[in-house]
Amino acid sequence: MLVRLARIEWATIISTIALVAFGVLMLSTTAEPDSTGLENQAVQKAVLGAVGLAFAFAMAQVDYRVLHGLAGPVFLLGVLALILVLLVGDFDLGARRWFELGPIVIQPSEFMKLAAIVAFAKYLSDRSDSTRLLRTVMVGLGLMLIPASLVFLQPDLGTALIFSAIWMAMVFVAGARWWHLLTPIVIALAAFPFAWFFAQDYMRQRFVTFLDPGSDPLGAGYNVLQARISIGSGGWFGHGLGQGSQSQLEFLRVRDTDFIFAMLGEQLGLAGTMGLLAFFTLLIVQALVIGLRARDMFGRLLAIGIAAMLFSQSFVNIGMNVGLMPVTGITLPLVSLGKNSLLVTLLSVGILLSIHSHRGAAPFRQQSMHVVRGSLPAAGSRGGLGR
Amino acid sequence: MEAHSRPTARTGAGQRRISGTRRALLLGGAALAGNAALAGRLWQLQVVESDTYREQAAHNRARTRPIQPLRGLIYDRNREPLVANAPVFSVWLAPADLPPEREGPAMANLAVLTGERLEDLRFKLSQARLAPDTPARLARAVPRESALTIEERRQELPGISVRTSTRREYAHGDVLGHILGFTGPIPAEEVEAYRQQGVRFDEDIGLAGIERSLQTRLRGRDGEQRLETDAFGRALHELSFTPPQVGQHAVLTIAVNEQQAIREILARHLALRERGAGAVVVLRPDSGDIVAMVSLPDYDSNIFTRGASSESFALLVSDPRRPLINHAISGLYPPGSTYKVIAASGALEAGVVLPQSKIHCDGRLILPSGWAFDDWLPQGHGFVDLQRAIAESCNIYFYNVSGGNPYTQLQGLGNRRLAEFERSFGFGERTGIDLPGEASGLVPTSEWKNRNLQQPWVTGDTYHAAIGQGLVQVTPLQIASMYAAIGNGGRVMRPRLVDRLLDQHGKVAERFPPRVRSILPVSDTNLRLLQAGLYRAVNEPQGTGPRARSSHTVVAGKTGTAEYSGARDAEGRLPSHAWFAGYAPAEQPEYGFAVLVRDGGEGSFAAAPIARDIVDYLMTGDMPPLPQERPDFISPDHRL
Repeated sequence: MLVRLARIEWATIISTIALVAFGVLMLSTTAEPDSTGLENQAVQKAVLGAVGLAFAFAMAQVDYRVLHGLAGPVFLLGVLALILVLLVGDFDLGARRWFELGPIVIQPSEFMKLAAIVAFAKYLSDRSDSTRLLRTVMVGLGLMLIPASLVFLQPDLGTALIFSAIWMAMVFVAGARWWHLLTPIVIALAAFPFAWFFAQDYMRQRFVTFLDPGSDPLGAGYNVLQARISIGSGGWFGHGLGQGSQSQLEFLRVRDTDFIFAMLGEQLGLAGTMGLLAFFTLLIVQALVIGLRARDMFGRLLAIGIAAMLFSQSFVNIGMNVGLMPVTGITLPLVSLGKNSLLVTLLSVGILLSIHSHRGAAPFRQQSMHVVRGSLPAAGSRGGLGR
Repeated sequence: MEAHSRPTARTGAGQRRISGTRRALLLGGAALAGNAALAGRLWQLQVVESDTYREQAAHNRARTRPIQPLRGLIYDRNREPLVANAPVFSVWLAPADLPPEREGPAMANLAVLTGERLEDLRFKLSQARLAPDTPARLARAVPRESALTIEERRQELPGISVRTSTRREYAHGDVLGHILGFTGPIPAEEVEAYRQQGVRFDEDIGLAGIERSLQTRLRGRDGEQRLETDAFGRALHELSFTPPQVGQHAVLTIAVNEQQAIREILARHLALRERGAGAVVVLRPDSGDIVAMVSLPDYDSNIFTRGASSESFALLVSDPRRPLINHAISGLYPPGSTYKVIAASGALEAGVVLPQSKIHCDGRLILPSGWAFDDWLPQGHGFVDLQRAIAESCNIYFYNVSGGNPYTQLQGLGNRRLAEFERSFGFGERTGIDLPGEASGLVPTSEWKNRNLQQPWVTGDTYHAAIGQGLVQVTPLQIASMYAAIGNGGRVMRPRLVDRLLDQHGKVAERFPPRVRSILPVSDTNLRLLQAGLYRAVNEPQGTGPRARSSHTVVAGKTGTAEYSGARDAEGRLPSHAWFAGYAPAEQPEYGFAVLVRDGGEGSFAAAPIARDIVDYLMTGDMPPLPQERPDFISPDHRL
């Protein structure tokens, strides 16, 4: 047990805690002033973060390879949930994205991201000698398009694109041929004019706004412009916690989720934004390093998938805050309000820790993949992931 | 590092040789590059361009609200207020707080509540959008109930608010219309000029009269309130406050009761005439202070600020007598015989004639060219000297002294010298009264005639100029000013309508002391000769102005019957304006005046009695009896 603890990747843990702490700090400045205890969203996030982190620690003790056997059922469960949410999900802000079960809100697409990573990892690692074949890539693409298109229908274009980013990274590392990967990108680019023609108005609007936020400062470009003003006005060290007219006077909208980074930029300045960016970079690099050191292809691909998820989301979100990316409604992992996302990201960190702690001279070392496969039913009964 | 393309992850012992290391490193590099790009962008936003965004953030949170000062008041000489600022509700818009998608319903609601036309509101909105941080007025003078309803329904009307503002209410607007003028919206072509003075496009400005000439002084200067507001336009607290500089109050030289009475006197006399139109100017000879200034028909200032019914407005605009124009200062007329004193003084000063030199008048002067110039009295006045010529208004005398007489070898004054004298009496230029729209009139010269009519100057033109006919054009104010100067010993005063300006505490902010425009180039001796002639014109039996004789004081003055081109009457005479100008008392005069009855016929019948009534009133303070009740009443139908 102590041996395992020693193997825990402290840089990963610390950057995770730091990022959650950034989120708690920011939410504490926007919380309703009279909300106390668990009513306060900052407190909620801190508590959930602690619980999630403890869970991640626990997961570090469990061999990640139990996931190999759970991949199929979990993927199916996720797809079913996505179909269900399309049919009976709560309609809010023009989209069906979640279920409300009393006080708990469940957003299937968040969990689906992790389920998809596990499923892609299993699929690609099982076929590691045929990833150069177009057939493998195409079937994998189909596997990705199932959840991606369901999410797209919600509609949630951003998350759908995250799925494809994760998939691309994993297939790339798994060893697909360059042109197998480049062809879909070229096709996508060529299809852009047609997509533009069929795209929904809000998508076009967002794209135009991205290109020129000043075009309609009171309308679609409002948030982008206000985010940029917030960040820019922060300067070197920001206006201080709880200060800053942009976020405190609510010129900056959706400041708890999509634009929490802008709020951070205003309150803590370049010091804060660079700090946050550094912790994200550290976490992503750690995920990659864990992947590189993983004992098998399944572990490596899992870590690569998680790294891709963390990077694509943080890059798209921060990029949108600073005006380098279009507005897609992607939240900042670990930092933004959003319990589903927090929980899933912490689970991912737990998986990373598990891959790390089981990388070397672990009890399973002599076991072959066949043995692992054979042990899966038993492993499944151990895991806590079914929840 | 092994080649990525070789599948190595086999089962069992091959465990550690798993593929994709190079590609994973490549991805890591891409991620680092991506985050480095973000870092670069953050440096750009937060360090390089930070000042710009800081400014924009400050601009976001601070809302500037101009505090408009109350418009200054106008008082008469006795400090009686002539105008008040009446409270009125107006509807304002903070353009930045009205989201474009809510414009439609908000404007439709407002149209119903305020009674404004929807397209007008939309136009004002589009104007306001040009300056999103400046509140703009959408509707003025909204009924109280509508104002309250708008306040109650603020949720449906984002960015819309009701303000209490003021409207001008004129205490004696009916008798002071031409003097006070009125306020109203800025004419479109002047919006830009006013904006440079800090006046907003939807503000009321002075459009006529004192309201216009003292616009800047009456308006004051805007104050400013800077508020910290949140994203929803809610004011949180005040950042700074600069109080407005309240407009100054004006104290006029006129007294409203005198103005009212003199207007009434003129109105009574005009009422006897079908096309009654006329003007009166009374001023103080020593200071140039305006005592009364009437131009009839006139208008009530209040109809403009209360919102005139289109019917009454159309009447004002279509009336051929042009009631919107102050004819006392803007109307141009031939002065007729009232002008003869200029040729008289010029001839004396230039030595053309001696005071006692007599010139024979047989009723007509025929030039060798064949042109005939008549006297008003067909049989002539016989031998007349200067005083008699003035008193009896002998034309022939003034033809002789101005244009010369080819038969007697008399060298006249000549056009050039006559014109110089006209100018030195204040003609051909504005008097400088504090009212907009003053006309300068015309002193005709041979150059002017050449240039404008492409005709040579002839002796007849000099004759006509000497008797105030032909090309000469003057305003009643100029005539009154000239007679005041003759009465006061030769100083042509600048007519004074505004005595002083007061600050908001009632202390004098600025005084406008009497100013001498020019000194008449006439010696005291010669001036006294003129004065004697004017005395005899009213007070001697042969004089032309006996109907101006007052029972309360001695009047000196001159009649004028100024023909103008128009339809001739049955006896072939041109229509004429009736003048009477003079001063009273004859010694140390207190009042100088000019009375004009447009198309009034003979000055001695139509204008002189008006002057008499005015002098009587000013001397006694009582209204004189109606003209019809006077023993010397002459029906207006009477023509001599």
